[in-house]
Amino acid sequence: MEYKKALIIIRNKDYALDGMRSALGLAVENMYSYAHLLDTEIDKLDDNNQDRLEMLRDMEGEVYTNVQSNVDQNGLEFMSIEELGEKLREMDVIVPYGII
Amino acid sequence: MKILNVYRSQPDEKTKKLVEIVNRDRESDTFELFVDNPDYDILVEKIFAADKTICWW
Amino acid sequence: MAKSLGIFVTNPHVMHHVMGVTKAAKAKGSKVKIFFTWTATHLAKDPQFPELCKIADDVAICVDSYVNMGYSADDVPEGLKKEKMATQTQHGLIIEDYDCYLNL
Repeated sequence: MEYKKALIIIRNKDYALDGMRSALGLAVENMYSYAHLLDTEIDKLDDNNQDRLEMLRDMEGEVYTNVQSNVDQNGLEFMSIEELGEKLREMDVIVPYGII
Repeated sequence: MKILNVYRSQPDEKTKKLVEIVNRDRESDTFELFVDNPDYDILVEKIFAADKTICWW
Repeated sequence: MAKSLGIFVTNPHVMHHVMGVTKAAKAKGSKVKIFFTWTATHLAKDPQFPELCKIADDVAICVDSYVNMGYSADDVPEGLKKEKMATQTQHGLIIEDYDCYLNL
């Protein structure tokens, strides 16, 4: 069975944590699931959200960002907008999430 | 692979860049939802005709 | 036979689009499922929501999001079945079980 791939793109801080939660929800449903925080800086993740990130990674998902402080503060993986575009080409489902 | 790009608002430079990469070497179509009175009938026909629909902010 | 359509709603300002797309798809004989999450669960209180529940085949909301938006989990929106106050699993069902996917 081929598992689907989904990527949620988040461009608004108020939608960041829920977008990441949605990504985890799809991973639980046996999809390769990713999120990208595009130009969106978030605060330090609390323990609950850090646990969610780890669960997502356990299921081969990841949260990417092009904001260096998200990498430094929360250990997210850096991905430029050009790299994001290339990653999107591999996806079955692309979700520009919420509002900008 | 036919991609349908739907826009809820006028796409900014970041959105345009992503669309350009996703569309590269593929057939693509667009639909603007931000116009007055969008024709949802046409939108649904385009969704059914596409392999993948992306609705951008 | 018309393709089926799953709609994932994350934007709280798109009820007119949800209604327009759903009506157009139903007019073509399509099966339509809609799932609302996060701030879009406010749309469960939109005056058009009960009508949406009538014309669509399946409508669900994320109950965690709904509670986060300040509503009680016991406050079932008009037109919605209580068991459709559900989890993100509903999003997975839209992707897996429906021919076409639209996020709004």
